[in-house]
Amino acid sequence: MRLASKIHESPDIGAVQELYHANGWTDGLPIVPPTRDAVEACLEWAMTPPETLIGIEPVRAMPVTAEKLAVNAVMAGCLPMHFPVVLTAFAAMLQPEFLLHGATSSTGGCAVFVVLNGPIRREIGASGTFNALGNSDRATSVIGRAIRLALINILEVRPGGIDRSTIGHPGKFTYCVAEDEEDSAWLPLARHRGMPPEVSAVTVMAAGAPRQIMNEWTTEPKEILETFAAEMRANLRHYSLHAGNYALIVPKQLREHLQAAGWTKADIADFIHERARIPRREWADVGKGAVVRDRGDSIYPALESPDHLLVIAAGGPAGGFGAVIPPWLGNKSKAVTMAIGACVDCEPPKG
Amino acid sequence: MVFHVLDPTNETAPPPGQLAPRIGSLRGKTVGFISNGKEGTKGFFAHLDRMLRTEFGVASVVSRTKSNYSAPADGYIVGEIANWDAVITGIGD
Repeated sequence: MRLASKIHESPDIGAVQELYHANGWTDGLPIVPPTRDAVEACLEWAMTPPETLIGIEPVRAMPVTAEKLAVNAVMAGCLPMHFPVVLTAFAAMLQPEFLLHGATSSTGGCAVFVVLNGPIRREIGASGTFNALGNSDRATSVIGRAIRLALINILEVRPGGIDRSTIGHPGKFTYCVAEDEEDSAWLPLARHRGMPPEVSAVTVMAAGAPRQIMNEWTTEPKEILETFAAEMRANLRHYSLHAGNYALIVPKQLREHLQAAGWTKADIADFIHERARIPRREWADVGKGAVVRDRGDSIYPALESPDHLLVIAAGGPAGGFGAVIPPWLGNKSKAVTMAIGACVDCEPPKG
Repeated sequence: MVFHVLDPTNETAPPPGQLAPRIGSLRGKTVGFISNGKEGTKGFFAHLDRMLRTEFGVASVVSRTKSNYSAPADGYIVGEIANWDAVITGIGD
């Protein structure tokens, strides 16, 4: 396999760490040395030649190759079996509607939230239960980190460089979750967004930090969802009035009440679409009265339409704790779902 | 143990930007503004418009606002630039 990357020689593991930190090639944490063998193993697992062009970031005309993604994936701690997810996530991020340059350079400070669906979750040991948005398992931890390291190194998305985030958030280290499909009666997110059955897929979303909610005092679906809607209204008041993709993390304890009452993800989205909206005048309540002007009665929904809501079953078995994951400044960037290792847009074979 | 490790960066520099030829004077010229459309741009560009006309003799100012403040300027705006003698672009956080 012919790799094009420049090779650096370091006398020991400590020197490798210092080389990468000194050059600004890390996220501040130690990295796994990206040796030729490790990088080639990732590319072989994904059956992808190193020179394969995954896409071009259009604003700065920066190419993203499979080889460079593999180098960064190894640094993040990925095993070869994790690499197809990283490849697909980055291809999804390079779709025009994701607006990658804007999302990664904005003062708004979002991170790339990655959701895994399909059989690959089990194959790589990705868990959607305990501590789902934290370090729940090796796979989601290293896949999310690989995304960030690749942004830093391939597209120069470094703090103070391309990344102009004012405060950012901890999801910039890693922000990946696997949906708990086995313990949910709902259609998995990727299926809900049009993927065929049994296809593994990733969904990427330019996202703010999770806003945690809690409601353990009702079994009534509308009351449970009202708590989520209230958190979305809070985001409209405190952060941005722009509508966009929102994700809801619904834990087992809450989704069992919803599922017992026959609520589907589509039902949830319809309810949230109606309830998560505020009049512009509410900005005056939170210190933003200067820009209310004569539009106080204008209504601002969090979702342009119900299908902009990403409902994800995830979380440990006990606890009424869920989360609202808000968009980076509304509709500037759209969530993208893409199949892993399958061409769902290809024409069927002839004959 | 000696490690041979791969460079994680792009190793491909983005195409360099190229400045247009400088103009010697603003007097009688047409200046285009490309705003990102954020709230802070309104006062800034309004003041700059007055200043260019009254203090520097600019003949006309053309103001354009991007449809998406996080994306590059729309194609129709870029197409207009050829009609202007100078361009001022800015963000307004």
